[in-house]
Amino acid sequence: MKEYQERYIANIKRVNQLKDVYSQADEGFSVWYEGRLQAKKEMDILKKENIDLLNKDLFPVLDSLYEADAQTLQDLQDFADTLMDWKTNLDCGIYVLIHESLLSMYRVRKDRNKIIQELYKLGMGLYYRNRMFQGSQTELAKKIYFENEMVFTEGGSYLKYFDRIDDEETKGYIIRSLANISISTTDRKRRIATTAKVINIVSDPYYREMAPSLPWDAYLRKTYQQMSANRSTLSDGGLSKEELSSIMEACQIIFEPEKENKDPNIRWLWPFYEMEYSCGFADLKTTLSRMEKLIESTPYDRYDESGLYGNVQLPIYYGRLLQNNPQYTKEKNIRFLKYAYDKMMKALLSFPREKIDDFYFYDIALLVFSYYETEGVDTYHDVISRLIGRIFPQNYIRMKKAGEIASLFAAKIYENDPSHFDDISFIKEIKDLKEKEDVLLNYVKDCGLYYDFGLTSMNMKKITDIRDLFEQESEIFTLHTQFGYDNLSTRESTKRFADIARGHHRWYDQSDGYPKDYIRIESPYRRICDLFAICDHILFEYHGDMDKLTKEMKEKSGTRFSPLALSYLDEELSAKIEKVLTLEKEEYYRELYDLISSIH
Amino acid sequence: MARGYAVSKKDLSKILYRSDDFNENDIVSKVDLSDDTVLLLSGKDPITEDLERRLEEAESANIAKETFLSNMSHDIRTPMNAIIGMTALAKKHIDEKSRLIDSLNKIDTASLHLLSLINEVLDMSRINSGKLQIANELFSLSDLIHDTVTIIKPQMAQKGHEFELHIDNIEYEDLYGDIQRLRQIYVNIINNAVKYTNNNGHISVSFSEEKKDGSCVLLFNCSDNGIGMSEEFIKKIYDPFERAGNSTISGIEGTGLGMSIVQKLVQAMGGEINIDSKVDEGTSVTIRIPFLYSEPAIAANALQGKRFLLLMKDSKSCEVLEKYLKEYQVEYERTTDFSSMVSALTEADFSQKPYDCFLLGHVDDSTGNSLDMASYIHRSNPDTPIVLISDDDWEKIEYDANRSGIEHFIPIPFFRKSLINALDTVLSGQQGSSSSSRIDLSGKNILLVEDNLINREIALEILRSTGARIDTAENGKEAIERFENTDEGFYNIILMDIQMPVMDGYSATRNIRNLSRTDGKTVKIYAMSANIFAEDIAKAREAGMDGHIAKPIDINKLMQTLKQA
Repeated sequence: MKEYQERYIANIKRVNQLKDVYSQADEGFSVWYEGRLQAKKEMDILKKENIDLLNKDLFPVLDSLYEADAQTLQDLQDFADTLMDWKTNLDCGIYVLIHESLLSMYRVRKDRNKIIQELYKLGMGLYYRNRMFQGSQTELAKKIYFENEMVFTEGGSYLKYFDRIDDEETKGYIIRSLANISISTTDRKRRIATTAKVINIVSDPYYREMAPSLPWDAYLRKTYQQMSANRSTLSDGGLSKEELSSIMEACQIIFEPEKENKDPNIRWLWPFYEMEYSCGFADLKTTLSRMEKLIESTPYDRYDESGLYGNVQLPIYYGRLLQNNPQYTKEKNIRFLKYAYDKMMKALLSFPREKIDDFYFYDIALLVFSYYETEGVDTYHDVISRLIGRIFPQNYIRMKKAGEIASLFAAKIYENDPSHFDDISFIKEIKDLKEKEDVLLNYVKDCGLYYDFGLTSMNMKKITDIRDLFEQESEIFTLHTQFGYDNLSTRESTKRFADIARGHHRWYDQSDGYPKDYIRIESPYRRICDLFAICDHILFEYHGDMDKLTKEMKEKSGTRFSPLALSYLDEELSAKIEKVLTLEKEEYYRELYDLISSIH
Repeated sequence: MARGYAVSKKDLSKILYRSDDFNENDIVSKVDLSDDTVLLLSGKDPITEDLERRLEEAESANIAKETFLSNMSHDIRTPMNAIIGMTALAKKHIDEKSRLIDSLNKIDTASLHLLSLINEVLDMSRINSGKLQIANELFSLSDLIHDTVTIIKPQMAQKGHEFELHIDNIEYEDLYGDIQRLRQIYVNIINNAVKYTNNNGHISVSFSEEKKDGSCVLLFNCSDNGIGMSEEFIKKIYDPFERAGNSTISGIEGTGLGMSIVQKLVQAMGGEINIDSKVDEGTSVTIRIPFLYSEPAIAANALQGKRFLLLMKDSKSCEVLEKYLKEYQVEYERTTDFSSMVSALTEADFSQKPYDCFLLGHVDDSTGNSLDMASYIHRSNPDTPIVLISDDDWEKIEYDANRSGIEHFIPIPFFRKSLINALDTVLSGQQGSSSSSRIDLSGKNILLVEDNLINREIALEILRSTGARIDTAENGKEAIERFENTDEGFYNIILMDIQMPVMDGYSATRNIRNLSRTDGKTVKIYAMSANIFAEDIAKAREAGMDGHIAKPIDINKLMQTLKQA
């Protein structure tokens, strides 16, 4: 690899070390606090250096890629591969960028084998990148999933040249591209049909004989695995008997052997039970009882793959089953759910930091998406509040600040007009003015924890800590408003924060910003949202001169920002905000320190 | 109703109220209305009467429920018996393959039947509770008809029926509606025709359209020469649980909900259904449903001047196909068997006039079937697309078809738009991925600003295929000079590199935008750069650029951008 590439990788690794808020936590607050400030400084420097490395070294190479020699191309491949280790995922965006560039070049050169290989690699890169917003069903997300599907589809379409391609490795890429259509498409029928086709191909001697060196049996098993992933859709209906039997057969092949295992890996055993439930071979009661045994048998401090599955994913699936079958849910099931959720939180909060990887975050995302809030278990609000500080400590400080600044604004407005926020019914109904103020300000502070909730659960910080966002990444970034809204609005305890998460990037006069379908006037929370639009801007744009920033914002009064809210931003309020942004920094770190110390 | 007689307590002769049906001989109760008024009630009091009425209603509902359960218990139990019994038999004869297969086939049939019963009951329940939702999504009529025919074909073949499908006057192929519910309606009607027609009967289905006030009405008719229905039965046909209890047909099973559901669905879609039937002569069912439609957009850019070779026996489909091909100036030759096809291929080879596309219909004769023909063609013409046009179920034949070199499928029936667009897509794709979205920019002038020689040459090569006139400049300053030295409006598009010696792309763009001539403001300028930070792209926009193309240039993305310019 080239020197700049090694430097870039080393910088990311160093940033990842510096991000560890637990470092020096045992040495007391003062040492830890100094360490955090130093770490932040160093991280800023490293990020800047990384951006320079890309601008000065990588982009020029891509700019004149046609002139690149073989060694340069090989270095690019190695660089990309190191950045896209499937587990640690150092920088998926650069991996995608490099393979997009190589693909464009090989298309012009009409190098068929290379095109096929690059299509597969690009498809994988896009797939891993898209995992950060997996499950989102916005138009933009669907467009991005579709691009990914088309890349694999193009790679797989070279099957028609299978007999004329002399390189066996390339043939392998064709098969895997074809198979991976199933992981990138959102169309269930297409997913099943494609996987069934690949099972036929990889079992067919006609193809096997044309590339005897390929690991056909491994391909077959992997493809059965992909087919078995459709098991959760069995009970949705609408499948033909061929589709149904294909899924059932794949589940039997993949999961049944685990039943015989004395120490079964729950990750493999549960799907078999799930298939039995979905196919009607086991009823809900049996299935719940099986899950209970698996969950109970997993110690909370088992941190391997099976442990994570038994401690996090299974409780989530258990909750999902109860949620889907409320008429059959008994009190004892809810009691068990409470036990399982408590154990899940214990496992997540005690998870050793050196073991934290993308799979851990994937499980967090699953929790964020699927937590079943019901009477008898902790509220979603409780769970999320406990998780945020532990998992996203850097965000935590920012969120706290946002909540604090917004509450300063709210207090000032309330002082002048106690009915200003009366569109919110739970505020309006409080008659005692002092109590009303307290409730309002606490609510606004809590909003701080949630207004960028989507961003937190998408883990965008992983990218923004090491470099600036690329164009498409910044487009993906906009998904966070809807992502946050979708999760907050579906739980009773967080409903009141949902509109703030959704609307804080939409302009006051609706002329710009996102998402377009947030209609300010329709939301009873709009006046709080107006405050967070201002606070978010202040947090990102404050560079030591509050007067200048206030002046800039007031130029956008009535367009980007609420004129009414901005009219309260006088010298006194500016001074208080500036204090939060600077002088009181230590206070927030103290709070974070207390939080992590309690977990540590 | 109260049969009351209210009088004053003090003066019983003072009648305050008397209902018409009051019966003095049947006074059953006395109610004090006030201190001085008493109400005498004859017959049952209103409360008892109301309770009795409710009881009557409940009993009647109960009877309906029991009738339903009685009907359903038979219908559900019968296939369940088959499943349980056959499973036991299969276990008992696990080593006898033929008996095992026989049992499994019966389980298969019974399970599917059971599923359809459950679906119908659920549908009826949804309809009765007002929860039925009719989707309003764009769908292809061609797909709907193809799917419907694919579903009913096996039953049709099993009973040896002769089946005719007529498609008349279809102008709008893309309609807005609920394709799943429509399929349910048509399959149900045709299935009835299949069931209630003795073996080796004749069934004819037709689809046609009528235009009406901004929407089109889709006419469906299904006629059979089956057992028919009496007038008396037709009156009851939409009542739930009614079915033709004709002894001439034995073993017909069903909930008797089908026609009731069909009627409710048709009504929910704003349509109407008419049945014309005579006992022992047959039945004709006509359904008219209005739809909003999407105007057909036909793309045939890649078709003109192309040579096709057809191998088709089905004269009806082929007639329609030939008509459409002629309309779009496609040169074609039609063959009807394997040997004439081989001759045509040899002739094409000899005269060095290769075909651009092969269209195969369903062929299965002594010389081979469509897949054999496809394999033969594919061996000698590996890069030429082979399209199968058939009423087969593609899902079932796709794997074998792909292995034979068939990559594309057009279902029968096909209409003008679906056929032409599909063929156009096939031929567009055939030009290779590197030029799959080539566009025609003849008459346009493009200024390519790029300092790197190789990049410039590559961009030139790609751009030349668009037919546009291309000028080049090696830096921003030169670009401005070139722009200024042309007449107003000469350049349509400028492709601008960012990092260049002398003057970079941002400055050059700003200068062009600031020129006093009007086209300086309007000419489309696109940045070409490997710098893809969101900030870089924002910078390009701030400088006055209309968009950004990442480097190295992706041919398809460049074409897409030029198309939008």
